[in-house]
Amino acid sequence: MNVAVQGWGVWLALSAACLGTYACRALGVKLSGHIDSESEIFRWVAAVTYAMVAALTVRMLLMPLGLLATVPMLLRILMCVVSLAVMVSRPTRRMGPALLIGTLLMLGYGVVRTT
Amino acid sequence: MNAPRFTNRRAAFWAGIHDAVGAPVLVLFAGMVGFGAMGRTHGFDAWMTGLTSLLMFALPGQVVMLEMLISGSSFLAIAFAVSLTSARFVTMVVTLFPQLHRRDRNRGLYLWVHLLAMTAWSMSMREFPHMAAKHRLSYFIGLGLPCWLIAMPGTVLGYFVAGWVPDAVTLALVFINPLFFLLTFTEVRPWANRIAIGLGCVLGPLFYVWDADSSLLATGLVAGTIGYVVDRRWLRPAPVEVQP
Repeated sequence: MNVAVQGWGVWLALSAACLGTYACRALGVKLSGHIDSESEIFRWVAAVTYAMVAALTVRMLLMPLGLLATVPMLLRILMCVVSLAVMVSRPTRRMGPALLIGTLLMLGYGVVRTT
Repeated sequence: MNAPRFTNRRAAFWAGIHDAVGAPVLVLFAGMVGFGAMGRTHGFDAWMTGLTSLLMFALPGQVVMLEMLISGSSFLAIAFAVSLTSARFVTMVVTLFPQLHRRDRNRGLYLWVHLLAMTAWSMSMREFPHMAAKHRLSYFIGLGLPCWLIAMPGTVLGYFVAGWVPDAVTLALVFINPLFFLLTFTEVRPWANRIAIGLGCVLGPLFYVWDADSSLLATGLVAGTIGYVVDRRWLRPAPVEVQP
């Protein structure tokens, strides 16, 4: 246990991190006041945002921190593929069942691994 | 769209609540329980861990903060790194809020913007085109409020149950979050965004290996711009659909 984890340093870091995060949100509000939702710049920013969100998601799945990293990469990918298959198996999207299948697969793996 | 989807703002707000209670709240709750457990195992204070979820309300940034605190980084370095991971909020807000009614685009948004997370954003981006502009803010608040309110209880719960919950359960909880975002990608319509997502999934890990800190921004700019250009030059039909 690091000494730096205790004391006022932690609260200082928390405050700074909260301010930094809120500043990003506020900057978005400020900038959004000058942008029209029909404009080309809006379409471009939307595409950039989706790409960032996609990169973040893939990072969480392929290069996770902590417990998820102990699951073999191939199994993680396989579970995602199965969930995606359930999701697109019908024209009306099936978020609930797809999410449930993926979560149960991971739970099942965890149970099998410990026994 | 001819008939408005909601009769008034109140109906839109409750529809938002209705849509939130289900996958979005579950996903956020799971993510925050996972974060609380992480805070406990790393030896942080329960208050501090819970407040982080309430005040920051941005899971990737929260995880980065904990990791950096453990490694003993200075608070300035932490603030910088966390802000960098939160840079996505700038573009998320810029893509979401211009769709609101002109009357709603006022100072109040500086308050409501705190409710924005990836969950509420992806749901709103999907639903906004199907409702009148004047109902969108109410719907967004209905959607975001339960997600935000569940964050702190989820974190505190995770903090206190960490240790006696079997690993298998924690594993499933940690997995729900990224899985949800992966699944929402199948619901994205415009081709520019679809291409951006596809490229983002491929380029993201590559850029991460190259330079972790700037990888999200770099991936976004490269993949997003390619998606936009390809769509504009080759895919988009000449007259653009008019949104109601």
